[in-house]
Amino acid sequence: MKIHYYPGCTLKQKMTALDISARKAMERLDVELVEPEGWSCCGAEYPLTEEKIVGLAAPIRVLRQVRDEGGDVLVTTCSFCFAVLKRANKAVQDDPLKHKRINAYLRDDIQIDPLTKERTTGFEDYNGEVKVLHLLEFLRDRVGYPKIRERLKRDLKGLAVAPYYGCRILRPRGEMAVDEPDSPRLFEEFLGAVGCSAVDYPFKQECCGSYVSVSLPAAATEASYRILRSAAMAGAKAVAVSCPLCFYNMDHRQEAIKEAFLDFPGLPVVFFTQLLAWALGVDKSLLGLGEHAVPADGLFTEIPLTEVRP
Amino acid sequence: MRVKLKSGRDQRKFIQRIEELSGENVFACYQCGRCSAGCPMAPEMDLLPNQIIRLVQMGLDEEVLRSRTLFLCASCFTCESRCPKGIDLARVMEAVRHVLDPKGKDAFGPGEISPELAQELPQQVLVSIFRKFAK
Repeated sequence: MKIHYYPGCTLKQKMTALDISARKAMERLDVELVEPEGWSCCGAEYPLTEEKIVGLAAPIRVLRQVRDEGGDVLVTTCSFCFAVLKRANKAVQDDPLKHKRINAYLRDDIQIDPLTKERTTGFEDYNGEVKVLHLLEFLRDRVGYPKIRERLKRDLKGLAVAPYYGCRILRPRGEMAVDEPDSPRLFEEFLGAVGCSAVDYPFKQECCGSYVSVSLPAAATEASYRILRSAAMAGAKAVAVSCPLCFYNMDHRQEAIKEAFLDFPGLPVVFFTQLLAWALGVDKSLLGLGEHAVPADGLFTEIPLTEVRP
Repeated sequence: MRVKLKSGRDQRKFIQRIEELSGENVFACYQCGRCSAGCPMAPEMDLLPNQIIRLVQMGLDEEVLRSRTLFLCASCFTCESRCPKGIDLARVMEAVRHVLDPKGKDAFGPGEISPELAQELPQQVLVSIFRKFAK
């Protein structure tokens, strides 16, 4: 199965672990992730005011490209990209004015054929034909947990992992809603399918501080500390995330968290795709463990699967 | 908190502009405070999220526009998911940032990040913070 996949800017340079482990894991599930030709940054933030229409141009351009390549689904792993693409898609579906204005902007795009250098223009209107899915949703709805269980190669021995949703994949409830915003199960079910045991803790959908970590690092340090402490107190051996920025705030910032909060012992943070790839038998050197500030190697110990799981 | 009430054309215009930009009915708010109770950035704020919306209801633009709260909102939508009246407060915050003086200084601009830090930060955080806090 070939599926369109949008990695986004961060996964291509700073957080390649998420990109590579997702690809390797999906290969093991017979899914090939194909990037749309000439994709650009999605804009990272969905414009929240009615007048900032231009912020929709980049995500709609990506979605239109997917449609023009014959795709009907676009999968992302980064929560920010997912939110922007999904909300922009919904805006052109539901809001006739936004649909009209954004298509008027994009109609005159010039496309240059990479081989013949021929310039073409005059695009067809994009009407929200593509469905945007987060990789976690794709695994649940299109691949299915039974297939993942079938393909498991390694035993994670019920490793206690705290699922961390963050803000973007659950809210706003009317637009994102991959699951119930206040009591989601999506991540827990995924962890169960790869052989981990999901730790329940109250901070799983709290905000990590997001971009405020640049303008006011102390605020993000404290927000991330609250999440990590809550997970550690609930018995987690690691926190699993899907967003590169959550990863940055909770992993790269952990040195600062330890300095500010002396009671915090440290907790490794991993991408959910690393757990998936490892359980499916992907080589450890392909998990991108070198990008972690808090060493996570210890979580990935070689235990072959001996018995067939029910 | 004490404020001096004003009523005039400017006040009405401010309220109308915020509603137009945000697409939210600010008068739906009855000050239950659940937005502030759940806000992860509330400890750093000078005005709590529910106070911002109250001041918008009263059309007190000056008080709202000088608050540092506008540049602490991380748009995590926790308030949105908890509001019993269905107001998306993150949209109200964005609308207020939108009406700030367009010629004014960036609340957070590229000059405030050292080259070393820029090397380390994931791209998405740079794009998102400038989209939110720079002009």
